[in-house]
Amino acid sequence: MSHSQRSDIFLLDAERTTWHDETLWFVRQKRDKAVYALPEFQDLRELASQIKNHTLSKLDFYLTQFEEAAKRNGVQVHWAADAAEHNTIVLGLIKKHGATRVVKSKSMLTEECHLNPHLIKHGVEVIDTDLGERIIQMREEAPSHVVLPAIHLKKEDVGDTFHIHLGTAKGNNDPQQLTEAARQHLREKFLAGEVAISGVNFAIAETGSVVVCTNEGNADLGVNLAKVHIACMGMEKLIPRLSDLSVFTRVLTRSATGQPVTTYTSHFTKPAPGKEMHIVIVDNGRTKQLGRPDFRASLKCIRCGACMNTCPVYRRSGGHSYDFTIPGPIGAILSPNIDMRKHASLPFASTLCGSCTDVCPVKIDIHTQLYKWRQVLAEEGEIPASKKWSMRLLSSVLSRPGVYGLGGKVARQGLRFLPHGLTHAKGYNPWAIARELPEPPKQSFREWYNQQQKNS
Amino acid sequence: MSSREKILAAVKANQPEELPLPDVPDFTGDGSLEKFTTILEGIGGKVVPIRGVTHLDVVIQELFPTDERVASTLMASTVLVDALTPIEVLAAVDVAVLRGEFGVAENGTIWLPEANMLNRALPMITQHLVLVLNHEDIVPTMHQAYAKLGSVGDYGIFLAGPSKTADIEQSLVIGAHGARSLTVLLV
Repeated sequence: MSHSQRSDIFLLDAERTTWHDETLWFVRQKRDKAVYALPEFQDLRELASQIKNHTLSKLDFYLTQFEEAAKRNGVQVHWAADAAEHNTIVLGLIKKHGATRVVKSKSMLTEECHLNPHLIKHGVEVIDTDLGERIIQMREEAPSHVVLPAIHLKKEDVGDTFHIHLGTAKGNNDPQQLTEAARQHLREKFLAGEVAISGVNFAIAETGSVVVCTNEGNADLGVNLAKVHIACMGMEKLIPRLSDLSVFTRVLTRSATGQPVTTYTSHFTKPAPGKEMHIVIVDNGRTKQLGRPDFRASLKCIRCGACMNTCPVYRRSGGHSYDFTIPGPIGAILSPNIDMRKHASLPFASTLCGSCTDVCPVKIDIHTQLYKWRQVLAEEGEIPASKKWSMRLLSSVLSRPGVYGLGGKVARQGLRFLPHGLTHAKGYNPWAIARELPEPPKQSFREWYNQQQKNS
Repeated sequence: MSSREKILAAVKANQPEELPLPDVPDFTGDGSLEKFTTILEGIGGKVVPIRGVTHLDVVIQELFPTDERVASTLMASTVLVDALTPIEVLAAVDVAVLRGEFGVAENGTIWLPEANMLNRALPMITQHLVLVLNHEDIVPTMHQAYAKLGSVGDYGIFLAGPSKTADIEQSLVIGAHGARSLTVLLV
C-alpha cells in the first residue's frame, strides 16, 4: 500500500482526523511561543546545524574519541553494523546476566531494529516504560510520532486498553486516573527490572557520556534500579563537546513540545559501583546515507518531531500512514535510504511547502531532499505506472504547442457538454474526489492575447 | 574485519571534507531569581523561600504533614539511604530532601549531581522531591550552566519540575514515574 492508500484508512474517521490535525497544530503553536521568546533562537539553530555538519564531517574521529573516553569511564562499547547485529548484542548481554526482565525507556533506534519482538521471541519480558510507548505496546501498535507515540489515540482508546490490561474500570477515561494506574503498574516493573535499556539523545565525544532526555523520569528510574544499563545509539548522535550540549538542550524541547527543557536531562558517564553500563553504536544504513551528498544532512536530525507537528500532510494522514519507524517529513527522507522500493511513495507525501525546513532546529533542508528523492525514485523506476505514463504524456503535450492548444480547446468544450459524473469520475480523475473542476473559460489566454493584438 | 572496523572504514570513505566547528558564544540573559521562579512554577514546581537550613525538619513537617519516611543529606532522616540501600527500602521513601547545586533561570532547571543524591535512584523513586537551593546560585542560560559545571561527573541530572506526561490525549498529568512533586526551598 502507498502512503495515500494508508491515509485513506486514517481519513475514514473525519472527527478524529480533525482532532489530530488541530492537536498537532496546537503543539506547533506552543513551539512558536517558546521559540519567539528566545531572541537568539535563529543563532542557536545555525550553531546546532554547524556543529552537526562538522561532527558528520569528522565522524570517524569523534566515534573513536567517544569510544576511548567511554572505555576509560568503565563503559563497554559495542558496534553493530545492522539491526540484526544490534539485537544479537543486546540479547547476548541480557542472557550473560541470566536476566529475563527488561525495562526500556524510549528509543526510536530499538523500534527501528525491532528489538522487542526479538527479545520476546527469546523469552525475555521487555516492558516499554514511557507511558505513550506502554500504551501502544499493550495494543501491539507502532508509535505514530517520535515524541508523542500515542498521539493517534483518544483517551477512550486508552481507557479501553487499560481496562483490558490493567483492570481499570470500564469507561474510566480520565487521563489523571489512567496515568496513576500506569504509574502503579510500571512501578512494579521498575522494581523488578534486571536490565534497563535506554536510547540516547546526545553522545558527548570528549567525555564519553550519553545524555537522555525524558519528561517522565522513566529512563533514570529504570537505569538506576537495574544492575545493567544498555544504551543504544545511532552513530549520528555524537556531538564533540560538553559545551555543545548547551545549544542542543536549548533547541530540542522548545522545538518538540514548546517546553523550555525536558524535566530530566540526564548525563550517564560511569556505571554506579558494582553495576555495568554498555553502549551499542549502530550503523544500520547510516554510513550509506552519509555517502549520499544530497541526503546526508538528514543525519543531523535530533528527533524533536517539529517537522511532523507542522506538516499539513502528516497532521491529516497520521503517523501510521508512513509505515516507517520515523514518520512525517524526516521519515520520508530517511526511509528510501533503507528500502527505496518499499517506501517509494513517502517523498510524495508532501506539498513541498517547506514548513518542515522552516521549523527544523538543526536546519535540515527537508523539503529540498523530498524533491530530490522524487528525482532519484523516478530515475530508478520506483514510481507508479500511472504517474510515469501521465508524466510522459504531459511532457509530450507541453513540448508541442500545437497539441497543447488543441488539447485545451477540446477540454474547454468537453467540460461544457460532458456529464459531471464522467468528468469527475473517481476512477481516472482522483484530483476531483474532493474538488470541483473550475468553470471552463470561453477562450484560452493565447486566443485572448491574439485577439488583443488584432484589435490594437 | 569486525563491525567496528567496517563501520569506521565506511564512515571514513563516506564523510564529506572537514567542515569548521563553530565556537559557541556565551549567550546570556535574565538570570534573576524572579525569572527562575516564574519559569519553574510554570512547569509545575513549587518555590518556597526559607530562612535557613537549621529548622529544615519543621519546614518539611509543615509541607508534608502525613509523610513519615524522609531521606535527606541535610536534616535528620527517618530512612537511611546510601548507594547500597535495597530497592524495597528506596521504594518506600515518601520525601527526599537534597541539595540542588544551582538553578538555570531560562528553563527552571536545577543541577543535581550524584554526590547530592544519596542513591542514584532516590530523586526518581521518592514520592516527593525537595531541593534546597541557595538563592544566589542562579545562572541565566544553559551556556553558563555547562561552563560552570566543567564536568558532569559520573552521573548527574538537570531537573526541571516534577515528573510529568501528556501521553494521553495531550492532557498534562503531573507525577508519571518519578517524583509526584518538586518543591524548591530557597535559602
